[in-house]
Amino acid sequence: MTTLEQLSEAVGAGKAKDAKALTQRALDEGARPGDIVDKALVPAMAEVGERFKRNEIFVPEMLIAARAMKEAMNLLEPHLVAAGITPKYTAVIGTVQGDLHDIGKNLVVVMWKGANFRVVDLGTNVPPAKFVSAIQEHRPQLVGLSALLTTTMPAMVETVRIIRTSGCPPVKVMVGGAPITQQFANEIGADGYAADAGSAVDKARALVGAA
Amino acid sequence: MNRQFYLDLAAAGLRMPIGTHLILHGHADPQTIALDGRRLGAVVLETAERFGTPLAFPLMDLTLEKTALLLACGVPEAEVDAHHFTVAPPAPERILLTPRMRASCEAIAHVATRPDVVPIGMAIGPFSLTTKLMADPITPVYLAGMGLSAGEDPEVALLERLLSLSELIVHRYLRAQIEAGARAVIICEPAANLVYLSPKQLSTNPALFERIVMEPMQRITRMLAASGVDLIFHDCGELTTDMVRRFATLGAAILSFGSSRRLWEDAALVPKDTILYGNLPTKRFCASELTPGEVERLAQELVEKMQTAGHPFILGSECDVLSVPGKETEILGKVDAFMRCAYYV
Repeated sequence: MTTLEQLSEAVGAGKAKDAKALTQRALDEGARPGDIVDKALVPAMAEVGERFKRNEIFVPEMLIAARAMKEAMNLLEPHLVAAGITPKYTAVIGTVQGDLHDIGKNLVVVMWKGANFRVVDLGTNVPPAKFVSAIQEHRPQLVGLSALLTTTMPAMVETVRIIRTSGCPPVKVMVGGAPITQQFANEIGADGYAADAGSAVDKARALVGAA
Repeated sequence: MNRQFYLDLAAAGLRMPIGTHLILHGHADPQTIALDGRRLGAVVLETAERFGTPLAFPLMDLTLEKTALLLACGVPEAEVDAHHFTVAPPAPERILLTPRMRASCEAIAHVATRPDVVPIGMAIGPFSLTTKLMADPITPVYLAGMGLSAGEDPEVALLERLLSLSELIVHRYLRAQIEAGARAVIICEPAANLVYLSPKQLSTNPALFERIVMEPMQRITRMLAASGVDLIFHDCGELTTDMVRRFATLGAAILSFGSSRRLWEDAALVPKDTILYGNLPTKRFCASELTPGEVERLAQELVEKMQTAGHPFILGSECDVLSVPGKETEILGKVDAFMRCAYYV
């Protein structure tokens, strides 16, 4: 098994210390940082997403895998920056105004980062104006809106409306969260809906044209 | 209270939502009422009367204990909502009840003046409260499940410390509600689910679930039993069958689960003197595709399946039914749809 294959396996198993050591070994062996991301880390997280969709693993295993990937990325990022390598796609994400829940949103962040998106996480209780401001600043291809509470669904409606009418650069809007349905997404003019963090990656890639 | 009381309610075909939020927000000034114990108590009674039940469920608010604990730990009030602990705080010298908590206790006292209704208190479960105190509660839970101890991992140490503090504030608030006259309490433990606790990990290490969910709940159960107060246990999270099996051992008068559970199958796991309550998908009641007719059909189907299962059952909501601005009439219409179903059975 090559070092990159071992690294991929360590990330998938959530072995953070192994992931860090194997990343260092790959660098020492002369692997290019971009290749380590593309050939080990991204495939590992893609496999994690697939196993999650098949109910073979659950949210905690996903987070542990992401933690291992983060250890690897901490080592790689200075090299990536030095080489001028940046993710091709950018996404802005946040939980809508009035809603303080972030577990679902955080999982999507994890999986999008795992798919090599640059993710700007605005946090929770995000007012529409902050989404607009972030779109203007970061020029993302994708915006993700999350809501856990039925009581904050109207805030999601308002956020989509304001993004659409604010004159900010064109952007795909994706929504999700426990009370959200495909029909609701259609009704409010969102471009996409994902039922869980695993399928959020597929939908995001399709929306930005990466699929 | 005599367990037969609840069994008789189920046998009489009681159906009811947990609907205090819905009724409260039909008033012009819900925020003001929530801080006024007497008026809040009147709304609780209005809700019980509106839905024809002697069970006076309180306003379900899972933020109260977090607020009280953080204020006691010296976190500024303006930062309470978004605050998460990164290092273990010392135990506060004393925990004061917040104005919202005091209003809830006064509401219970107001309800308790009525002999024909059961004043019910409420608290978040210790594990669920703990998850609200950490930015990422899932990872330390998993690490603890891997066998890492507090001495070995700072995240596990934080988890255990916060769980202990959570239990402290929950007991404090429960005692206040019991002193106010609560004869039953609903403990809401929605985070004890397969998002926070991996079934894959629990299959090899079930002791984790016992230690961080069941043991704190068992201590609450003993405290309630010593006070002659009934337990209503609520968990609307996605559960495994093993989790249901464990919750069934709590000796609750009523078990309330989310709509992901098939109650007619869970009936086999639950003692015959424990009512199963629920579990219509009320979190989706604001979705237009779920029509009142479909709600009525789901209710009918559930009632029939529970009758076939032969288990004491009260038809109701999977959680508290929240009032959504602009959707109030639609949601109430769907609640009325399942309430109507009662008369067809």
